[in-house]
Amino acid sequence: MLADKRKRSVIDIINEHIEEFEQWLNQFEETLTEKPSWSKKNSAIEPLKNIAVHPKEVTMTVDLPFTKENTLQVKPLDENTLEISASTKRKIRLNELGITHQEGEIQKFHCHARLPVPVQMDKMEIRFKKGILEIRLPRKHETRRRKQ
Amino acid sequence: MGEEINIIEKAKIPSGATMFFGFPDAGLVGVIAASEMIEQLKLAEVAYMDSKFLPPVIVLHEGLPHSTIRIFGDEKILLAISDIPVPADLLYPMMHTLIEWGTNKHVKLMISLSGIPMQDRQDAKELKAFAAASTPEALKMAENKGVEILTDGYMVGPQAIMLQQCSQKGIPALAMLAQCYLNYPDPEAAAVVLQELEKVSGIKVSISKLLEKGEEIRLRARDVMKRTQQEMTNVKKGQEYDIPMYVS
Repeated sequence: MLADKRKRSVIDIINEHIEEFEQWLNQFEETLTEKPSWSKKNSAIEPLKNIAVHPKEVTMTVDLPFTKENTLQVKPLDENTLEISASTKRKIRLNELGITHQEGEIQKFHCHARLPVPVQMDKMEIRFKKGILEIRLPRKHETRRRKQ
Repeated sequence: MGEEINIIEKAKIPSGATMFFGFPDAGLVGVIAASEMIEQLKLAEVAYMDSKFLPPVIVLHEGLPHSTIRIFGDEKILLAISDIPVPADLLYPMMHTLIEWGTNKHVKLMISLSGIPMQDRQDAKELKAFAAASTPEALKMAENKGVEILTDGYMVGPQAIMLQQCSQKGIPALAMLAQCYLNYPDPEAAAVVLQELEKVSGIKVSISKLLEKGEEIRLRARDVMKRTQQEMTNVKKGQEYDIPMYVS
């Protein structure tokens, strides 16, 4: 039994390292990919977001200023990806944001967020306060551990 | 590196001014507050920084190039601001150069405007601002004027270098920090730091426009914030959340 416990804790440690490495890899990929934060084609801007992995849950915040709260949508695309979108309070011309070499406008925030660890999508909780979207998702492995 | 960073003066620099710093950092509090000061006090660009160590970036305004690190001012105020995050390895020589320059201009007080990250910031009903100082006299002055003192903790970024260097040289300096989001632009925190600034400097800047236009400012500041996040990771800004262990 003690051996089992040790074995599991070693696996847990390795898993934690893998999770940390995946997080680092995600950040590294974002750093490497120099792309605009806005899309003229989709009239969309990508919001700032942060994901934190805790022992029992994953929390994500998304900065969505100047949005209509009733247009906010958070949709699971698969077991580890969320799609987030919200319309802006009005159309914002690109030149209002200081982009003067192209014409176009922004009408919404839009992004996909890949979660670094398995989560229970069906238990997702969201709230929106002061233009900040907060998403909380229980982690999957915690449930398994409790059942054992 | 310090000798290869130059400050080019474009106008007559006053003697005995108060010098402010507003650099990209937590919540972009310093930059947002400094921008509001420049606009409302109608400060003019009086100098700029030039160095081969700066990133190869200029800011275009009305078709003309400007350095990303500039000093604005009038007869009583000097304000150094950066439009883009300063690379971590340039922070120390940049602050050293600015402090040397300010000392040569007989600046009477240096004040860095910034933020201090707060967990669950969106749930805060009221934001607080704090001050830390380079000398016991400057600390007493801030305390006497009703500013709460940041007594313990870690400080990371330009304001940390400013306090340390000014302490070594005996120059009065304050770091004014408002509670803020770490990774999201925070105009509300910038408003709080400007309110506290009035207590120590007597400089009044209206915060109504800042609060009214807060959401638009957050949207516009999105890209600068994203790049600042990367530099804050490089300087380990998250250390400001750490439980301090001061060995006395």
